[in-house]
Amino acid sequence: MNLLESIRVALEGVRANKLRSFLTTLGIIIGIAAVIAVVAIGQGGRAVLMTEMEKVGTNIFVIYPDWRNQEQSTGNKFELSDMQVLKDKVPAITHLSANSSNMDDVRGPKDKKYCQVRGVSSDYAFTSKLTMKKGRFFSSEDDSLSQRVAVLDEALADEIFGRTEPVGNMVSIGNTPFLVIGLVAKGESIFGFGENVNAYIPGRAWRNMYGDYINELEGSAVSKEKVQETMDQTVKVLERRHRGSEYASQSMEQVMQSANKITGIMTLIIGAIAGISLFVGGIGVMNIMLVSVTERTREIGIRKALGARRKDILIQFLIESVVLCILGGIIGMALGIGGAFLIAKVAKWSPLVSWWTALIAFAFSAAIGIIFGMLPANKAAKMDPIEALRRD
Amino acid sequence: MMIQVSQLAKIYSTGAHPVVALKDVNLEVKTGEFVSVMGPSGSGKSTLMNLLGCLDTPTSGSYKLDGIEISTLDDTGMARVRNIKIGFVFQNFNLLSRTTAQRNVELPMLYAGIDARERVRRATTALERVGLADRINYRPNQLSGGQVQRVAIARALVNEPAVLLADEPTGNLDTRSGEEIMAIFQDLNRGGATIVLVTHEWDIALHTSRIIHFRDGSLVDDEKVENPRKAVEQLTKLGPGNQNNTHASEISALVVPSGEVPFVQTVSEFDARRGDAQ
Ligand SMILES: Nc1ncnc2c1ncn2[C@@H]1O[C@H](COP(=O)(O)OP(=O)(O)OP(=O)(O)O)[C@@H](O)[C@H]1O
Ligand SMILES: [Mg+2]
Repeated sequence: MNLLESIRVALEGVRANKLRSFLTTLGIIIGIAAVIAVVAIGQGGRAVLMTEMEKVGTNIFVIYPDWRNQEQSTGNKFELSDMQVLKDKVPAITHLSANSSNMDDVRGPKDKKYCQVRGVSSDYAFTSKLTMKKGRFFSSEDDSLSQRVAVLDEALADEIFGRTEPVGNMVSIGNTPFLVIGLVAKGESIFGFGENVNAYIPGRAWRNMYGDYINELEGSAVSKEKVQETMDQTVKVLERRHRGSEYASQSMEQVMQSANKITGIMTLIIGAIAGISLFVGGIGVMNIMLVSVTERTREIGIRKALGARRKDILIQFLIESVVLCILGGIIGMALGIGGAFLIAKVAKWSPLVSWWTALIAFAFSAAIGIIFGMLPANKAAKMDPIEALRRD
Repeated sequence: MMIQVSQLAKIYSTGAHPVVALKDVNLEVKTGEFVSVMGPSGSGKSTLMNLLGCLDTPTSGSYKLDGIEISTLDDTGMARVRNIKIGFVFQNFNLLSRTTAQRNVELPMLYAGIDARERVRRATTALERVGLADRINYRPNQLSGGQVQRVAIARALVNEPAVLLADEPTGNLDTRSGEEIMAIFQDLNRGGATIVLVTHEWDIALHTSRIIHFRDGSLVDDEKVENPRKAVEQLTKLGPGNQNNTHASEISALVVPSGEVPFVQTVSEFDARRGDAQ
C-alpha cells in the first residue's frame, strides 16, 4: 500500500471520529500552542532589545577599576592625564570620556531635584548616543576651561524649570551656578521606566566641586570588530601607568552577548516545559491509539486476510498517529500565533514567528506521532489474522 | 494439482486440555474442481479452511498450494499468498463497514500494489460480474445480506486468485440469496476457478461436484456428485424473489442453458426485477 493511500485511510479514520480525534490531540495542541506563543513573544522581545542595543552602538566600551583583586579598594585609579596618553597610544579609540558621578541638588526657578550630577568629557554625547533636543552639548574647550555650563535631561528640565525656558538660564548645582546650554531629548525606552534625570557638566568643573575622582572611562572604537582589541590595549596602557591597579572592561557587544545568552537559557527552560507537555500529549495519543487498535481488531484481521503484511498495518497506524499529531500541531500553531498576537496587543512589542519555529513545531508533532504511535502500530501489526477475525 | 495436503494436523493447546481440531488429513484438489466440505459442528471444517487460506499454521503436516510449500513461508510470504493466490469468503462477510463496496473490493489490490486507476477499473468489473453494477458506492449497511456476500465474492476474485475458499458463505443467507451465491460460484467454476466451500446444507453441497466429509477432525468420506444441481435452474423454480410469479415467463426466457449466456446478466436481471417489483 502506498503512502498516499495510507494517508487517505488515516484521514478517513480521523474524520469518522472527529471529537475523539480532537480530544486525543488536545495535549499536542496545547503544547505546540504554548511553545509557539512563548517563543514568538520571546523572539519579539529579543529583537526589540537587540535593536535598542544596536542603537546604543556595538563599538562602545567601558573601562572601570577591577575592585575584586585589590586589597586597597580606595584611591584614584584614573588620572586626567590618562586621557591624552590613551588617545595617543591606542589609535583605534575614536572617542573617550572620563565619567564621574555624584548625587546632588539641582535647583531651578521652579523646583529643585536631588539627582545624578555627571562630570563627563565632551565625547560623552557621542559615546552615550545622546540626542540634543535644544541647544548643544559642551565642547572640549568648555571642558578644558572648566566652564560652568550644564546640559540637562529633558525630564529634569521640565521638573525644575516648569514653563520657563531652561536654555540660557541658570541652575545651581549644589551651591554653584551653572548656565544651561542644552537639553537632552527623552530616549524612547522600550522598558518604559528609568527615564533619565541627569545633569551633565564638564569633568573639570565637576572635579573642582566634588574632588579629583573618575569612576570610569567610556570609549568608542573605530569598529565593532576592533572593540575587544581596543579594550585590551587600553587596559594594558592603564596598568602600565598605574602599577598595582587592575582594570576590567566591558563592551556593548559583550552585554548583547550575555543578553543573548539569557534569552537562550530562557528558551531552553521553555523548551523543557514544552517538551514535558508534548510528552504528556504524546502519551495521550498513544493511549487513544491503543484503544483504536483494540477497537479495530476486526478491521486489522480483514486487512491481513486480504494480504496486508505486518509492514502495511504498521505503516497504516503509524501514519494515522502522525496525521493526528500533525493536525494537532497545525491547530496548536494557529492558536499559538493567535495568542502571541493577542498578547502583543497588550505588551509593547510585536511577536516574531520565524519560519523555523513553525518548522520545528511541525517536525516535533510528526516525531511525537511516530514515537508514540510506534507501540500501538506494532501491536496492530503483530496481530494474528485468525485471532483478529474471531474478535468482534 | 492445486491443493495437496498430507498428514495435516492442528492441535489447539490454548485451553486446559489440548484440542485436536484436525488429524491425519490427506487431501488433493485438482485445478478447476468445485469441492464442498461437510461435517457436524466442531468437526474441524473451519480449521481446515483457515489452514488452506494461510490464515493459520498447522501443527504438523504439509500443505502445497499451486506448487508452493506453505510451511516454508514466513509472515510476509504468507501475506503474499493470501493476497494473490487465495480468495476467501467468510460466513459473516467481513467487509469494512464504513467503506463502500467499491473500496472494499479494492482492498486486496491495494496490498498487491496495483495503481489507483486499474483498481477502480477492476473493482467495477468484479462488481458487475456479481451483478452489483448499480451498488458500487453503497456501504455494507445499505445492502442486503446476499448483496454484501456478493461484494465479498467480488473482493475475493478481484486479484484473480488460484483458489476460492468459502467457509459457509450461504450460512447467514436465505434460500434465494444462497442460490444466487451458488450461481455465481458455479459460473466462476465453469470459467475455470478452483473452489472449496464449507456448508452444513445438502442443498448447497449438491451444487458442487465433490463432497468431502469430516468427523472429529478426520476426513471420513470423499464422494463425487453425479449431477450437480444448477443454481440458475433453482432460481427459476423459486421465481422472482418474494413476489408472485407474474414475471416467471420472462425470467425463464433469460435463463438459457448454462454456459451460453454469461451468468452475470441473469443475476443482475433478477435483481433489477426484484427492485422493480418493490
Ligand atoms: N482457537 C481455538 N482454540 C481452541 N480450540 C479451538 C479453536 N478453534 C477451534 N477450536 C476447536 O477445534 C475444533 C474444530 O473447530 P472448527 O471451528 O474447525 O469446527 P467447524 O467444523 O468449523 O464447526 P462449525 O460447523 O460449528 O463451524 C472444535 O472442537 C473447536 O472447539
Ligand atoms: Mg466453522
